[in-house]
Amino acid sequence: MKNSDRIELMAPAGNFESLQAAITNGADSVFFGVDQLNMRARASINFTIEDLPEITKRCEERKIRTYLTLNTIIYDHDLSIIKTLLDAAKVAGITAVIAMDQAVISYARQIDMEVHISTQINITNIETVKFYALFADTMVMSRELSLRQVKKITEQVEKEQIKGPSGKLVEIEIFGHGALCMAVSGKCYLSLHSHNSSANRGACKQNCRKKYTVIDQETGFEIELDNEYMMSPEDLCTLDFLDQVIDTGIKVLKIEGRGRAPEYVAKVIKTYREAIDAYYDGSFSKEKVKNWMTELEKVYNRGFWSGYYLGQKLGEWSDIDGSKATQKKVYIGKGMHYFPKSKIAEFKIEAFDLTIGDTILITGPTTGVEEFELTEMLVNDKKLEKARKGDSCTIPVDFRIRMSDKLYKIVKNNP
Amino acid sequence: MIVVTLQRKKCIGCNYCVELAPLQFQMSKKDGKAVLIRGIEKKGFYTIKSPDETIHEVCDLAAKACPTKIISVKIV
Repeated sequence: MKNSDRIELMAPAGNFESLQAAITNGADSVFFGVDQLNMRARASINFTIEDLPEITKRCEERKIRTYLTLNTIIYDHDLSIIKTLLDAAKVAGITAVIAMDQAVISYARQIDMEVHISTQINITNIETVKFYALFADTMVMSRELSLRQVKKITEQVEKEQIKGPSGKLVEIEIFGHGALCMAVSGKCYLSLHSHNSSANRGACKQNCRKKYTVIDQETGFEIELDNEYMMSPEDLCTLDFLDQVIDTGIKVLKIEGRGRAPEYVAKVIKTYREAIDAYYDGSFSKEKVKNWMTELEKVYNRGFWSGYYLGQKLGEWSDIDGSKATQKKVYIGKGMHYFPKSKIAEFKIEAFDLTIGDTILITGPTTGVEEFELTEMLVNDKKLEKARKGDSCTIPVDFRIRMSDKLYKIVKNNP
Repeated sequence: MIVVTLQRKKCIGCNYCVELAPLQFQMSKKDGKAVLIRGIEKKGFYTIKSPDETIHEVCDLAAKACPTKIISVKIV
């Protein structure tokens, strides 16, 4: 639940596993896409229109705000589906829509739905904030602004009393953590040129994440570059200067990553939740930051940098194709049964093996993400140290597991 | 005989197929996804069989341009 004096921590939800992970780990709000009109359209993980009531049901119980992303470019043939989606979102009680196209903004206002302006619109100054305040209550700033520039905008909002349709001061939101794009706030055309696959329709082919060489056409010489991944920025991380981020007067901190795994959402949200709470109770310290960074490095990342927030320095480029995560998950088996009285979970081991002392991860659409160390288990009803493929194993856990749950173990990753 | 198939569910509504093969594809105003005109549905796959081999070229262009690769064109 959001405390109005504190910034709102917004979590990505690509599916029910991630949604539950966000809820359990302390998000104040969640954002998600439905069907094809969002910036992760290609992902097979998107929710459908029928999922909207279940999303609001789960979030309302914990007073978590829900935001529907509808932020691609829009063609004439999309106009009807936009209305269908927004009407369904309104009926389901979704808090707001994150929009870029004026058609979406316009219809959302017609049906009196709260609008947030997507970073795709690229707001970089106070006059633009004033303009969009006619339609929107929250605005995501361009990711290329410095904290100094963000602060100036939030101060002006206060000073000039810039209010949105709700009658409250407009809230300024920035990205706090996650992937960054080589193009200005996601406005990239590389994927469209190479694969007819428009990033602005949510179908980015991630050309920037690949290795490239530069060849001098006149001489044929390959130009020496320090980094073959010359277009792939490292991931944004604001945790180590979160105090400065909050001091800018922003109201919402967005964590990127609808395409990432549920345990990523769990880990990143839990870490930022602790850091934000530490800021407000005065215990934010270098020592804590060090521990939090170790936690963040365990899940998917391309290395971290501070984005443009601390000044307009040139981007820092990733030197790796995929992730630098220090850990990875390995699939072990699936949930079979839960005995609620004895609080015992039964799993079927389908791959590899499981040993006492392993860190295990259980994920599922209702369970969300749970991670803990395995201290005891029964294998085929006998107390053993190791369970192998084909075995049935029971583990004491104090939460319900389900047949849709998957069991993983966490192992070290050497990227 | 030309057989064209569209796996409609995965369409992101980019409109490329309509630009390249306007007589075979159109955009649905209902859900914003591509429609294979006169396609017969079976388990989410829409198929047309046409004796008109002149459609091969445009349908093939549409298949190649499709960002989600959900169009297939075969000569049988």
